[in-house]
Amino acid sequence: MKRRANFLLLIFALVLLIGSCDNILEENPRNEIFKTNFFQTENDAIGAINSIYAHMNSISSGAFGGLYHSTYWVIQGLASDEMNNRLAGAPQNDELQNFRFDAANANFYDVWSNAYRVIFNANFAIEGITTMDLNETVKNSLLGEARFLRSMAYFDLVRMFGDIPLMLEGNAELRPSKTNAAEVYDQIVSDLIMAADHLPDSYSVGGGLGRATSGAARGLLSKVYLTLGEYQLAAEAAQSVINSGRYSLWPDFAETFKIDNENGRETLFGVGFGDAGGAISFWEVGQFNVRLLPRELRTVIPGANAQGWQVATQHLYDSYDTNDRRRAVTFITSVGGSALADPHIRKYWDEEREPSAGNTEADFIYLRYADILLIYAEALNELNNGPNADAYEAINAVRRRARFDGTTERDVLPDLANLSYEQFRSALLEERRKEFVAEGHRWFDLVRFGKLQELVPLAKQGVTPRPTDTLFPLPQIEIDLNQNLLPQNPGY
Amino acid sequence: MTKTLIFITTTCLLAMIITSSYAQDLQLSGQVVSEEDGQGIPGVNILVKGTAQGTITDVDGNYSLSVAQRAVLVFSAVGFNTREVSVNGRSSIDVVMELNIEALDEVVVVAYGTVKKRDLTGSISSVKGKDMEKVAVTSLDQALQGRAAGVQVTQVSGRPGGETSIRIRGSSSVNAGNEPLYVIDGMLITSNSADLNTGGTAGSSLNPLASINPSDIESIEVLKDASATALYGSRGANGVIIITTKRGSEGKTSFTLDSYYGVQNVTRTLDLLNGEEFATYMNAFNDEVGLPADVRYLIPKNIGAGTDWQQAIFREAPMMNHQLTVTGGDKSTSYSISGGYFKQDGIIINSDFERATFRTNLDKNIGERFKLGSRVNLSQINSRGVLTGVQSPNTGLLLPGSVSSAVLFTPTLPVLDPNEPGGWTYEDDRGRNLPNPVADAQDTDNIAKNSRVIASVFGEMEIVDGLTFKANLGIDAFSVKENRFVPNYLKRSEPNNGAAVISTVDGQSWLTEFTFSYKKEFNEDHKLDALAGYTRQGFSSERLFVFTLDFTDNRLGYHNLSAGLNPQPPSSGESEWGIISYLARVNYNFKSKYLLTANARVDGASRFGEDSKYGFFPSVALAYNIADEDFIQNLGVFESLKIRTSYGVIGNSDIGSFNSLATVGPLGEGTFNNDYPYIGVEPYRLPNPNLRWERTGQFNAGLDMAFLKGRIMVTTDYYLQNTTDLLLNTPIPRTSGFGSFFNNIGQLRNEGIELAINSVVVDNKKFGWDADFNISSNRNEIISLADDNDILAQGVLAVPAGWSIIRKGQPLGTFYGLIADGIFQSDAEAENSPRLLGQSALAGERKYRDVNGRDAEGNLTGQPDGRINQDDRVVIGRAQPKFNWNFINTFRYKGFDLSVFIQAVSGNDIVNAYRFELERLNGETNVYREAFLERWTESNPSDKYRKLNPTDANTFSTAQVEDGSFIRIKNINLGYTLPRTVLDRMKLTNFRAYVSVNNLHTFTSYTGYDPEVNAFGQNALLQGIDYGGYPISRTFIAGIQIGL
Repeated sequence: MKRRANFLLLIFALVLLIGSCDNILEENPRNEIFKTNFFQTENDAIGAINSIYAHMNSISSGAFGGLYHSTYWVIQGLASDEMNNRLAGAPQNDELQNFRFDAANANFYDVWSNAYRVIFNANFAIEGITTMDLNETVKNSLLGEARFLRSMAYFDLVRMFGDIPLMLEGNAELRPSKTNAAEVYDQIVSDLIMAADHLPDSYSVGGGLGRATSGAARGLLSKVYLTLGEYQLAAEAAQSVINSGRYSLWPDFAETFKIDNENGRETLFGVGFGDAGGAISFWEVGQFNVRLLPRELRTVIPGANAQGWQVATQHLYDSYDTNDRRRAVTFITSVGGSALADPHIRKYWDEEREPSAGNTEADFIYLRYADILLIYAEALNELNNGPNADAYEAINAVRRRARFDGTTERDVLPDLANLSYEQFRSALLEERRKEFVAEGHRWFDLVRFGKLQELVPLAKQGVTPRPTDTLFPLPQIEIDLNQNLLPQNPGY
Repeated sequence: MTKTLIFITTTCLLAMIITSSYAQDLQLSGQVVSEEDGQGIPGVNILVKGTAQGTITDVDGNYSLSVAQRAVLVFSAVGFNTREVSVNGRSSIDVVMELNIEALDEVVVVAYGTVKKRDLTGSISSVKGKDMEKVAVTSLDQALQGRAAGVQVTQVSGRPGGETSIRIRGSSSVNAGNEPLYVIDGMLITSNSADLNTGGTAGSSLNPLASINPSDIESIEVLKDASATALYGSRGANGVIIITTKRGSEGKTSFTLDSYYGVQNVTRTLDLLNGEEFATYMNAFNDEVGLPADVRYLIPKNIGAGTDWQQAIFREAPMMNHQLTVTGGDKSTSYSISGGYFKQDGIIINSDFERATFRTNLDKNIGERFKLGSRVNLSQINSRGVLTGVQSPNTGLLLPGSVSSAVLFTPTLPVLDPNEPGGWTYEDDRGRNLPNPVADAQDTDNIAKNSRVIASVFGEMEIVDGLTFKANLGIDAFSVKENRFVPNYLKRSEPNNGAAVISTVDGQSWLTEFTFSYKKEFNEDHKLDALAGYTRQGFSSERLFVFTLDFTDNRLGYHNLSAGLNPQPPSSGESEWGIISYLARVNYNFKSKYLLTANARVDGASRFGEDSKYGFFPSVALAYNIADEDFIQNLGVFESLKIRTSYGVIGNSDIGSFNSLATVGPLGEGTFNNDYPYIGVEPYRLPNPNLRWERTGQFNAGLDMAFLKGRIMVTTDYYLQNTTDLLLNTPIPRTSGFGSFFNNIGQLRNEGIELAINSVVVDNKKFGWDADFNISSNRNEIISLADDNDILAQGVLAVPAGWSIIRKGQPLGTFYGLIADGIFQSDAEAENSPRLLGQSALAGERKYRDVNGRDAEGNLTGQPDGRINQDDRVVIGRAQPKFNWNFINTFRYKGFDLSVFIQAVSGNDIVNAYRFELERLNGETNVYREAFLERWTESNPSDKYRKLNPTDANTFSTAQVEDGSFIRIKNINLGYTLPRTVLDRMKLTNFRAYVSVNNLHTFTSYTGYDPEVNAFGQNALLQGIDYGGYPISRTFIAGIQIGL
């Protein structure tokens, strides 16, 4: 009996030993795909391109928002005469509002991180697609799309931070040095020219509408040239967009931000938000209304998720003519008959489509036709040391549209004429201010026009930007982790 | 059948008659007690000399047998000198047995075996189950607290069943979740908190060891040096904790009932403004910033005390524990069966923890050479949690948890507001986005259920004399389900109108082990003990996470996910790893005087790249029992004296799965034109194909001494551990596209000393006093870093980025910030002093010290530059303590026993992150009472607190760093055991009643809830932050222990 038991145990052990000889040391993740055999079909290439877009809107895993989710346009609004912060417990916002920020300000790190992730994903797509065996037209179009999106991130980085690392490979140095801003601009320009040459002019609804187009690339190129002071090239690029006949202003300013009009006639490029009716994570919706609509809406719309974290400056609101259509469309100043303490921004709220006043499907319009018209006018004014007829026509088109209140043209905003170079410049800056509230333009515009120190104190008593505030500081933690970024921008 | 019965009965009767008619025999009884403490000794072998007749004492040392009048009895027991006693016609003989110093050494559990303490070469601390029983601990890691030198146990969260963090000899490895290896009855269990939590519920994680019932534990061994841990190879880098559960023994069946009830409350609350004071503050604030007076606050007196939000979320919470253990056995079989039930309500409303455990331990000898056994533990945990501490963006939880909300919330608001849909006050009224902490805790469901089986079976066969083969098969299978529901009327569900989550993780780990061991003595002087084995362990787990938003009906919640109108895409994942090992050990000793242990293990791990799949981990140890030398014995001082030393290399493979792989997958998504969703495919991580094994070379030298017949025992150890290729999930520049990646960053050294003294101060029949003291000190230093680049931590909570630094020459857990230098006392002083960028030049602003600047190229000059910025940061604190010491005094007087356990941590700093907001005085939240009342004003020139509405809001400096040293009266336990005479009358073997108090008082200058903090749990890089965690509690307990 004992002997038999021993024997059985031995057999049992041997069986286990033999049965366990399959190799458990091989690592083979079944929920991930090896990079080396990922790029197979056009679908894979599109998937890689999609990942660039995905980091521009929202990210449902990890960080809170993508590049254009909110911090980007909140910075441009707060660090100017456009917005004030009302979100308590967010000193990084107060610092921007009052021009007291330093390198430790978390908002800069947020934009920096997201922009470089967009760039990383673009490089990943470009590298992968380059090695693929695809139809040349398709391949160039895909590459152009990635390069367009990458140029957006670089354009915003270089404008905000000046000299920055130029990362063009996925497997690049961990601690790169800075590249001269001029070189970064060279890359942006070459990316955009390539994109403009190879991207399609348009897409059908559901067939890609919302993706980057040749017009978007050309339009952005005009803005890049304008920023560089290459006015001839800026004017040419803007003119080619205008002459393409593909874009026009909505007759009513209010229509520009309607959800049904997304990627419509006026939009050159918009960053898409929305959860496709619940098909994807609710994180993919936009937060414009959550941030901007007044808290008081809760009293008339139960459950409204409107926080009023950022508001317009009173000075901005007061700068409009009463009958300027844009004032009514852009602001909300009372709820349920009682006046609000601050003018709030409501332009992103399509009340009929989204009565709940909270999460929104509204897109972030990165570049629209009104901007192209004003870029064109600005470039012409600079080129000719004063406005010519085309310049007047461009700015007046924007003003004309703002007269229309939905039914009739009001007697406001007369056509401009007979202005000097300086006067026209001021008129342009003023027009841009009224047109692009909360669209992420204002700090860029004030810096480009050299008016940051002059204009901000008018809207914010006791707040004077420092001369060095024309560049933001490189994020401190990034310098901490990469000493090659030194020196810091002046003043910080 | 009937015939058989009759036959048996007859035989029995006959036997009785024969026995009783054996006229010249007498019935002898008595008790065998120990000379040391006068207590009965169980299991003493009593043999009638020259016969096979005999018996064994029971648990209390009592025995009875019938013997011949002139018989000689031989009493023998492990650890005691054998005694012979002549009966001489007596009917009652009590025997006192002397401790046998030679065999004093109990048996200690080591890797894959046991060894006599005397023959031990490694550094091991032992904690016995009976020491824990007295203290009514709720988890096994708590049981370890303070009882083993060099083992630092930190309670991360006061949540019932909450996590602890255990560091053995500092942190040789620093990754999150890199805790010691736990081996329960031979099974290497899963103890990484991330493996056992799904992330579906909010708040602090459940303790991965919560499934283990501490009452089942016989002993815990902590293996500290390389010689002790090397057999666990790559699993042992952070030390090994071996848990042995109770098994039965030959003898009569004994029942033990252990039961206690207790009540807990919060040890302290923060001193904040009440309603009236808050109104005064608001009036002063509005005046300061030029806002018109607010009618709500005009007459502070009318507001009264307002709401104390801390009091509103904390409560007195009951707890109870019941445990029944049955043990017994005969010559070939022994068993231990236990059932336990533990229930603890949390000190925060709507939080609790409930655990039921069942254990069966069975040992069977089949003949002389064959043994079988099994260890089976089933546990079921049900727990409700509340959201505390760290915010997780995963499910939209951007609002602070209950404790931080309660601290910050406006005290002038009531808890209830009948005008709101939920009947609760909805949010704070200062724009800070705080949810009503009471409503949030009370009406949110956060339920975790955890079922776990840890079981093993083993068979052992002595093939020939001395050579034993053992097979051990184990499984650790768990199933965790977490349910969460936030009703639509709570602030927390504002973005989504109600949210329900169901998430699961199911995991299992299989262990197969085969070992051969060989024991042989040659010529009496040479003893050899060798072991060789093969083991493999595989782990796999699968996760599922589903959630739904937008509930119109709050009654269904997570019970019916389809009630939500906006179901979200589900997510799932898998994880697996495998490890194969070959191990060998040789113990050799000469005359028990010179001892040698050599270990080796080869590990192959799936987590590493093809080129470094296998690692080799050797160790060698020597020990010398000098007490056996004549020149020591002649001194007459030492009862025993042993010198030990060891060196070995241990590895670490805990890098998570797939980190060396370049893989891609769906991560981001979005829509074009609202209706056309897309999925993006992108790299998951920055892969690191060069990932190498982290290796720690450990040197240990120790000294064991015993004096006065073992009444004083001293153990001291010195160790030096060098970790090379330290693995760290390292923060990296974002230009890489990622925030961090797994990397071998450099070299870390841990050096320390440990001293443990166990003494029997007084020991006589009536009164006894044992004093146990241990102290340990660990120094931890980064020796080198790749490229000499500092590694700075990202911002967390209110603390801005760069607050913690890993720098060559500094220890881990080094705080890095500005030096706060008091307060500007005049505008002129402020105007003429260096200030932060953007800091206003006004009296009452905080002063910082200017210590550094940069030249035009951006290089640091080391000279003040007239301005304050991040270049002026210096090392301003250390999270790791300089010393830990513990002092346990146990007294006994007649039937009473009293133990007093004092725990102390000394020389560490804490970032009290509450101070950012509670001292900001910017009108957004409630504040520290002292910060407001003692604020800087012209008439009160404070040098500590700023003026109202200062411009610098969240600068990390010495102003938030506090000394975290403390001395805690960890436990006082007073018990009374009924005397034997009474017990016998009651037919009981034991009856003890006791009262106990945990965390009675803490002496500390720390101003937060409790100095034992760690907001980031097991993450070694983010040590020492206190913010919003679940505070630990003071507990009063009354209990009984009954044996029969």
